[in-house]
Amino acid sequence: MNPKPSKFILGAWIIALLSLLSFPLRAQVADATLAGTVTDPASKVVPNAKIFIKNVVTRQSVETQTDSAGLYKLSNLVPGDYEVSVSAEGFSTNTTKVMIAAGTKQTLNLTLAGVLSLGDLGFSPAQTQGSAQDQARLNKRSHMLKIHQRIGLIDTVPLVATVILGAGAGGKSTSSTDRFAHLALGSVTGDLYFLSAYYAIRAPKIQGTETRGSIRLHKALAWIHGPGMILTPILGIMAFDQKSNGEKVHGIASAHGAVAIVTAAAYGASILSVSIKF
Amino acid sequence: MVFFLLLGIPIFAQTDSQWVLEQSTLTYHVTHPLHQVDGVSHAARGKGVCHAGQCDFLIAVPVKTFDSGDSNRDLHMLQVTRGGQFPMVTVRTRLPESASASATIHADLEIQFAGQTAKYDQVLFQQKSQGNEIRITGTIPAILTDFKIDPPSLLTVAVKNEMPVRVEMTWQRQK
Repeated sequence: MNPKPSKFILGAWIIALLSLLSFPLRAQVADATLAGTVTDPASKVVPNAKIFIKNVVTRQSVETQTDSAGLYKLSNLVPGDYEVSVSAEGFSTNTTKVMIAAGTKQTLNLTLAGVLSLGDLGFSPAQTQGSAQDQARLNKRSHMLKIHQRIGLIDTVPLVATVILGAGAGGKSTSSTDRFAHLALGSVTGDLYFLSAYYAIRAPKIQGTETRGSIRLHKALAWIHGPGMILTPILGIMAFDQKSNGEKVHGIASAHGAVAIVTAAAYGASILSVSIKF
Repeated sequence: MVFFLLLGIPIFAQTDSQWVLEQSTLTYHVTHPLHQVDGVSHAARGKGVCHAGQCDFLIAVPVKTFDSGDSNRDLHMLQVTRGGQFPMVTVRTRLPESASASATIHADLEIQFAGQTAKYDQVLFQQKSQGNEIRITGTIPAILTDFKIDPPSLLTVAVKNEMPVRVEMTWQRQK
């Protein structure tokens, strides 16, 4: 065996081993903590203030918020130079720099800048402080109304088909197939309609909001197509039975077609009234 | 008497002055290929405090006071701009006291909106002085994504990211 190659391999192994061993020494351990209190210029603690910390070298950033006592804590920070920004509703952003050493628990109390506050403008805390619950209510409202809108739009397809087939189902020369197709499509229309209506009715109401604009017409038309969507199938069933018994459609059932047309027209107008907007 | 009046001049000159927002019209403009929307608010309140030749201004307006003529759209805007959680838009700026004498102002604005802070540098405003009052007009070139707002959509097409806000304000100086 040639001793030179074996020495070379041994040397390479040692270098590789040392390299592996040196990793923990060179790697920056994210074990530092920065914490503190955020206060306003009057030394009052500020809840929900946003703390944004950015490593000057790596540009990595972390964000947190103060709790109800104005306290914040950022853990697992890599040692280094950081830029710390604090901001909150009604105050201007304050930025400062801090050097974080490895394995330390540092305290950095921050004061929000701002000569003037929202209170100086005469706004009450109730006006200036929102809540996650209020936002969740708005989000739920928008979400439910979007579903209402989508189902409502989809419902126009069976609605139009039902109206078109209605001409064949109620005429002099009708077939039971036409009537059943009309009945089936009408049922789908009604089901989708009431599903869509459910999302509109159950969407959370936002207090203190006056109804303005085209939504007023949209809501007003619901007082036509809503009862129409109940009445139309009732009259339709009566007309269906009369036709199936070989009778001419008579009595109140003869209003089925007219009620359906008015309902469909009101429904179409209702969609159009809110279509050209977002 | 004249002596005391002369003595009084430097004292008055050092006295801090204040500016109070008397009237305002703020109008945001949203553009969609099918539609243009303007939302107007007259509910802004503002104050400016001057000291040592510098004036700090704060202007604030509740998000929900913007009226686009349709309450459903306004509530949708309130939702997308996170107005439930962050109900106010605030604008801060610092200007030299001497700025009130010129016809134009270039202001560095710090705007808090939708829980985010964005800075708009050197925004141009025109101003007209009349006695103790100053009328300021201009447009803030606001961008929705500066505030991490997803532009709302109509028929799956989103509105433009730019949402310029037209500002018309009348300020009154108070000693």
